[in-house]
Amino acid sequence: MIALSVAAVLAIFLLYTSIAGGGTPSLRPSQLDGHSGKVSLAGKVVGRPSGDAHAAGLHFVLRDVKGTTAIPVMYRGTVPDLFRTGRDVVVQGQLRNGVFVAVPGTLMTKCPSKYAPAKNS
Amino acid sequence: MPDLGRAALATALLLLVYAAVAGTFAAHRRRRRLAASAQNALLAAFGASAVAAATLLVALARHDFSFRYVADHTSRKLPLGYTLTAFWGGQEGSLLLWLVVLCGYGAAAVWTTRRVARDLLAWTVPVLGVIGTFFAFMLVFVASPFATQAAPADGAGLNPSLQNPYMAIHPPMLYLGYVGLTVPFAFAMGALLSRRTDERWIVATRRWTLAAWAFLGVGQLLGAHWAYVEIGWGGYYAWDPVENAALMPWLAATAFLHSVMIQEKRGMLKVWNMLLVILAFCLSLFGTFLTRSGIIQSIHSFTQSSIGPWFLGFICFVVCASLGLVFLRLPLLRSKTKLESLVSREATFLYNNLLLVALSLTILWGVVYPLVSELVRGETSTVSKPYYNFFLHTFGLPLLLLMGIGPLVAWRRASFRALGRTFLWPLAVAVVAGVILLAVGAGSSRVGVIAYTFSIFVLASIALEFVRGTRARKALGSESWPGAFTALVARNRRRYGGYVVHAAVVFLAIGVAGSSVYQTVREHRLHPGGAMTVAGTRLVFRGFEQHRAPNHQAIRAVVDVYRGGKRITTLLPGKNNYFAEQQVSNEVAIRHDYADASDLFLIADQVNRDGSVDLKALQKPLVNLIWFAGFVFVGGSLIALWPDAREERRLAARYAGALAEA
Amino acid sequence: MTALLIGALVVLAAVAIVALPFLREPAAREDVLDAPDEREQRRLAAAEERDRALAALKELEFDHRTGKISDDDYRAQVGPLRRRAAEALRALDAPRDRRPGKVASHG
Repeated sequence: MIALSVAAVLAIFLLYTSIAGGGTPSLRPSQLDGHSGKVSLAGKVVGRPSGDAHAAGLHFVLRDVKGTTAIPVMYRGTVPDLFRTGRDVVVQGQLRNGVFVAVPGTLMTKCPSKYAPAKNS
Repeated sequence: MPDLGRAALATALLLLVYAAVAGTFAAHRRRRRLAASAQNALLAAFGASAVAAATLLVALARHDFSFRYVADHTSRKLPLGYTLTAFWGGQEGSLLLWLVVLCGYGAAAVWTTRRVARDLLAWTVPVLGVIGTFFAFMLVFVASPFATQAAPADGAGLNPSLQNPYMAIHPPMLYLGYVGLTVPFAFAMGALLSRRTDERWIVATRRWTLAAWAFLGVGQLLGAHWAYVEIGWGGYYAWDPVENAALMPWLAATAFLHSVMIQEKRGMLKVWNMLLVILAFCLSLFGTFLTRSGIIQSIHSFTQSSIGPWFLGFICFVVCASLGLVFLRLPLLRSKTKLESLVSREATFLYNNLLLVALSLTILWGVVYPLVSELVRGETSTVSKPYYNFFLHTFGLPLLLLMGIGPLVAWRRASFRALGRTFLWPLAVAVVAGVILLAVGAGSSRVGVIAYTFSIFVLASIALEFVRGTRARKALGSESWPGAFTALVARNRRRYGGYVVHAAVVFLAIGVAGSSVYQTVREHRLHPGGAMTVAGTRLVFRGFEQHRAPNHQAIRAVVDVYRGGKRITTLLPGKNNYFAEQQVSNEVAIRHDYADASDLFLIADQVNRDGSVDLKALQKPLVNLIWFAGFVFVGGSLIALWPDAREERRLAARYAGALAEA
Repeated sequence: MTALLIGALVVLAAVAIVALPFLREPAAREDVLDAPDEREQRRLAAAEERDRALAALKELEFDHRTGKISDDDYRAQVGPLRRRAAEALRALDAPRDRRPGKVASHG
C-alpha cells in the first residue's frame, strides 16, 4: 500500500515538473549569453541608478559579483529599501536587445553578511 | 573574561565527550555507576554552557567591545533589550544558544527519566553526548563567540530590521523547537541500541516531542507575523529556503506525532516511526545548516562561512549511523499487526502521514534544487512560488479534508452505514457553505472555494465530536452540560487537545486562503489630494510628515481612509532612515477590521522628490485568523500536554513490574 | 580575578558532579546496570498488549456510544476484542507460574 502511494506521489511530481518545466536558471551577467527565456539574474549594482521604478522604469547596471561583465537592467515595480550601488541583488527577467528587462516586482536584495530578513517582492 | 567563556565551553566539550565515551562503555558493559556518571556529565555540561552564555550576556550588557562578537553586533546607542537579544543575532552566538538549549533539554530529559528507564537512558546519554560534542566542538574550535580584538570605540550596531520585540522571541522559540526534536531522536536511537522492543521510548518522549513541535509551530507563526508587520512587503511567507528550513521538520514532526499514536494503539509502524524521527531530526539539523552556511542563495543567509562543510559532514554521519542502526535492528522492529481496513482511523492516519511526508520532501527538493541542478547541468536553477503553491494545494487540501474525516471514522474498521450517519451533518453544512460561497462570488478562485468548503467540513466535524462526546458522557452520570464537557476533555486530554489544534490549523487555512487568493492589490502614484480605491475603500493622500528620532529620521505619508463616504481612520505608511547604520527601513501602516478579520495594508513604496508618493494598498480578507489560529494552537497544545495523573500511574505500573529499578 | 575564580569553580564542580556516583559508593557491592532480559521483554510486550486491548475495548464502547459504530458492528467487534483482552491478561499472569516448584493451574 505504501508502495502505491509513493508511486502516486512520484507521478504527481513528475507531472508537475514536466508541465511547468524545470526551475528558473539563476545566472550571473557573464552567463547570460545564449539564454533567451526567463531567468533569474544575480549581480552587484554598479554606477548610479537612474529613472523611476514607478514611472518609466529604473535603469541600473548589474555586474558579476566577482567579475567584470556588466549588463544594463530596466526595472519597474517595488524597489527594496536596501537597494543601492554596491549591493548584491537578484532580479528576474529576460534579455532583450542587450538590456535585461525585468519582471515587475521581482527585485530582491541580499542583506550584507548579517542574519536579517530583508526582502521585497 | 573571554577566557572564562572559552574555559566554560572547553569544559562543556570535555563533559560531552565524556558523556559520549563513558556512556557508551557503561551501557555496553552494564556498569551502573559509570552510567550514572555519564548522566551527570550531561547535567554538568548544561551548567558549563550556561556559564559560557552568561559570560557573553555580561559582555553584551557591558558593551565590552574587546569581544569581537559584541562589537560586530551591537553599539553604544542600542537599547539594552536589543543589545541582549543580539546574543543570537549572529553565527557564533546563535550556535551557543543552540548548545545551551541542547544541554538544557538533555539535562531535563535525563533528570526526569533517570529513575524509571535506566537501561534505556544508559544508551540515550551517549547519543545526546555525541550530538552535543559536535556543537561544542564547533564553538570551541571553529566559530567561537569569544574571539577578542583591540576594543574599538563603538560597535557596528544591530541591523535595524532586527531591532524589534520579535528578535527577543522568534529565534528562541524556533530553537526550543528545532533542538527539542533531538530528544525523541536520542531516545529512539537509545531504544535501538539497548535492543528494547517495547514502547518505553515513545512513552518517555511523548510530551517532549509535542512541546518541541508546538514551539516550532509558534516560532514559525511569530516569524510570519514579523515578516508581515515589520518587513512589510504585504505577505507573511515567501518560501524562502530559511523559512522552509523550519517548515520541513515541523511537517515531519507532525507526521511523527500522528504515527506514534498508531504504534501505541496497534503496535504497528515501528520501522516507519524510527524513520520519521530520524527524518525530523535530520531536517532540523539541515535547516540550521542552510541558514548558516550560505550554501543556498537566500535573503536570510549568514555569511558564506566555514562551518558549512562541518555541518554537512555531521548530518551525513547522523543519517548513515542512524539508518545503519535501524537496518541492524530491523528484526526487532517487526510487528505482527496488519492494517485491517482501508477505511479506518489507522488508515486515515497513514494517509495523513504520507501526505505530510510527501509535502515535506517536495519542499526539500525545491530547496536543494539549485544545488542539484548545478551539479547535474552545471547551471543553477531555482524554483519559486508556483512550484511550492502547486504542491501545497495538491497535498495540503487533502490533508485539510482528512482532518475532518479522521475523527469521524472508527478504529480498526469503520462500517459504511455508520459512516453515512456520522458524516451527514458535517457534509451537509459544508455543501450549504459551498453553495453560499459560490453565490457570493468566491468562485473566482477554485482553490479558495475548495479550501473554505473543506475547512467548514472540518470545523463541523470537530464541533460534532465535542457535542457527541459530551452527550455520551452526560448520559453516563448526572453531570450538567458544562460538567460533562469538562470531564470529557479532562479524561481524554490528548484527543480533545488534538481536536483544538486541528481547529487551529483550519483557522490558519482559512486565513491563508482568504489573504492570498482573495486579496486585492492596487498601486498608484498619488500627489497631495489624490485618491485611489481598493476593495471599496477610498484612500486620499494628504501630504508628507517628517520627524526626527534619536537614531533615525522618519517620513510618513498621511493617508485618510474613507468607507461609504465617511472617514474611518488616517494611516501613516512611510520610511525610517537610520543614521548610524545608513539604512532605510520600510514602515507599513495596517488597519485591522475586526468585523471581518481583514486588514488594510498600506506601503509607501517610494517617496518622490516632487511631494508625491507611490502607494501600494492591499486588502487582505481574513488574514487575522492566522494570528488567532496561533493562540488556539497554543491552547490545544497545552490541553494535550497537560499531565494526567491516572495515566502516569498506569504507565509507571506497566514498566515497573518484576524489574527491580530502585 | 573573578573570572579566574568562577572558571576554577566551574571546572571543580564539573569534576565533582561527574565523580559523584563513585564518591557515593566507593566500593559498590553490585555495579550492574539492570536491563530487561528476554523474559522481562516478553512480559513488557504482554503488558503493552493488554493495555492496547483494554484501550481498544474502551474506544469501541465510546465510538458506539457516540454513534460512530453501528449496533451490528459493535456486536461483531466486541466479542473478539474481549477475547483478545482476556488472552492478554492470561499471557501476563502465566509466565510467573512457571517457576520451579509451582504448578500451573490456569484455565
